[in-house]
Amino acid sequence: MSIKVKTIVRNGRSWQERLYLIEVFKGMAITFRHFLSNFLDNSKLAVRHYPEVKPEITPRWRGRHRLTTHEDGTIKCVACYMCQTNCPAQCIQIEAGERGDDRTEKVPVKFDIDLLECIYCGYCVEACPMDAIRMDTGIFSVTSSTREEMKMSIDQLLATKGAFSEEEYKKGGA
Amino acid sequence: MTLQDIILIIIRVAFGAFVPLCFVAVSVWMERRGASFIQDRSGPNRANILGFRAGGLVQNLADAVKLFFKEDVIPGHIKHKFYFVLAPIIVCVTALVSFAVVPFADTLVLGGKEYLMQAIPTDLGILWFLAIVGFSVYGIILAGWSSHSKYGMLGGLRAAAQTISYEIPMVLAIISLLVVYGTVSLNEMAQFQGQLLFGFIPMWGVLLQPLGVIIFIIAAFAEANRVPFDLAEGESELVAGYHVEYSGLKFTIFFMGEYVAMFASSAIIVTLYFGGYQIPWFNTATLIKYAVPVTLLLMIVTPVAAKFIAAWIRKNNVSHYERENDPRVREANVYIKIVWGTVILLEAILFLYLVFASGGAADNILVACLQVCTFLAKTTCMLFVYVWVRWTLPRFRYDQLQKLGWNVLLPLSLLNIFVTSAIVVALS
Repeated sequence: MSIKVKTIVRNGRSWQERLYLIEVFKGMAITFRHFLSNFLDNSKLAVRHYPEVKPEITPRWRGRHRLTTHEDGTIKCVACYMCQTNCPAQCIQIEAGERGDDRTEKVPVKFDIDLLECIYCGYCVEACPMDAIRMDTGIFSVTSSTREEMKMSIDQLLATKGAFSEEEYKKGGA
Repeated sequence: MTLQDIILIIIRVAFGAFVPLCFVAVSVWMERRGASFIQDRSGPNRANILGFRAGGLVQNLADAVKLFFKEDVIPGHIKHKFYFVLAPIIVCVTALVSFAVVPFADTLVLGGKEYLMQAIPTDLGILWFLAIVGFSVYGIILAGWSSHSKYGMLGGLRAAAQTISYEIPMVLAIISLLVVYGTVSLNEMAQFQGQLLFGFIPMWGVLLQPLGVIIFIIAAFAEANRVPFDLAEGESELVAGYHVEYSGLKFTIFFMGEYVAMFASSAIIVTLYFGGYQIPWFNTATLIKYAVPVTLLLMIVTPVAAKFIAAWIRKNNVSHYERENDPRVREANVYIKIVWGTVILLEAILFLYLVFASGGAADNILVACLQVCTFLAKTTCMLFVYVWVRWTLPRFRYDQLQKLGWNVLLPLSLLNIFVTSAIVVALS
């Protein structure tokens, strides 16, 4: 039995193609068609007029981080350091403290994410056993004028709300 | 020297100096918007003055301001600062001067005197162009050498090798053209192209020299260091090639030189092969003879054209998203008013001409204006071809470039000379 061999047709060897000029004119005809249709009606352009028209963000998009809470508003994070250990960019800095209520033992007193170092890989979300950190805020444009502003504290992370409903988020594969 | 002489000298020199510089802005704009339209993008269309974007032309102004105010660095390792500064000047000045012999209208006869409508009224024509264009590569070599860096050096070397190998087919293509026209003066070449072939086809160089025009255009692209022959600045290999060490104003001058060279070589291509300033079927004598009917025709055509332009502006100068009180519509209103204002002004001038001045020297001036417009329109089309080719074809590999020059274009241009000479001898 012979191996299945798929022969790929190689173009560029016929004399018309080796003449080159004919193919050049064909290519120029294509580009000119594009030019003309866009020139005569620029609503056909395949662009989004960005700052005014925002792109549609799907639930699976890894945007800026947030920390989730229980129904009573207390933080879900138990300061297990899984995300910090997993983080390839080492942008998460956690300090653990005692919780106080009976839910768990530990709670983070400091949870800093340096967004300048973050590579938005989502490993922290994958690693979290408590579903306490998520990247479902839908914020894709992270900018500031100082370095300090790019460091997210625990309060900022808790204050950010998710952009999607729980169902949509779950359907996204989380 | 009368007042008329002095005025005409000023007009011609001003045309030769400022039109190429103005066309830098036009061709940069055409390059960026043309490229984006070819690639289904919109290109620079946000920069504005009081909300007026002029179709993206304001972006050029912004870029120019940016380039003027940027720090102009001369790197510390450069030993020959004089040559380093001289290089962009050579590139820009040679490009500018090479345009000086291109006629932009037929010989103007005023008060019994004849004026060659070129910035430098000389019959050297194509010889001057070739001599000056050959110089521009010195600027590039000098830039590459005085930059004292590997990228710059390699860019300069490539430019030198490329220009030398493409100058030969270019000149050979011109030789067969000289056999056809029998003159080196560009003005006489343009006059020759005003004749009719078999009585009904304009006798343009492109019809008499179909092979020559292809060779010449390819060589002109290579001379101007444009895609697909821009190996001298191939950014994927050499960062920026010969101007890698340049910044600020010196880079601007390089940049301008490149576009002026593009304009000059488009003008030469138009003059040699596409009839120069000649309007097809209307050579200068015919135009002067039928000045009044032509004027009437113009007075009818301009409002019709303006109507189409206004409709086009109305359709395309809008925001393509929900926007309250769209400022672009207001902008379009102003543009349309400007278009109609220009039409009214033109009609008024033509009307005054018809009533008061037709039949005299004004005929000759009117014809010259028409020919200048024709020449600029043709040159703009040729500039668009430059842009169009740039955004269609990928860059050649260096050995392919040299092979094309020496193994294909050189034999073809020699063949072209033999065939042309044989036909010319047989016909005469």
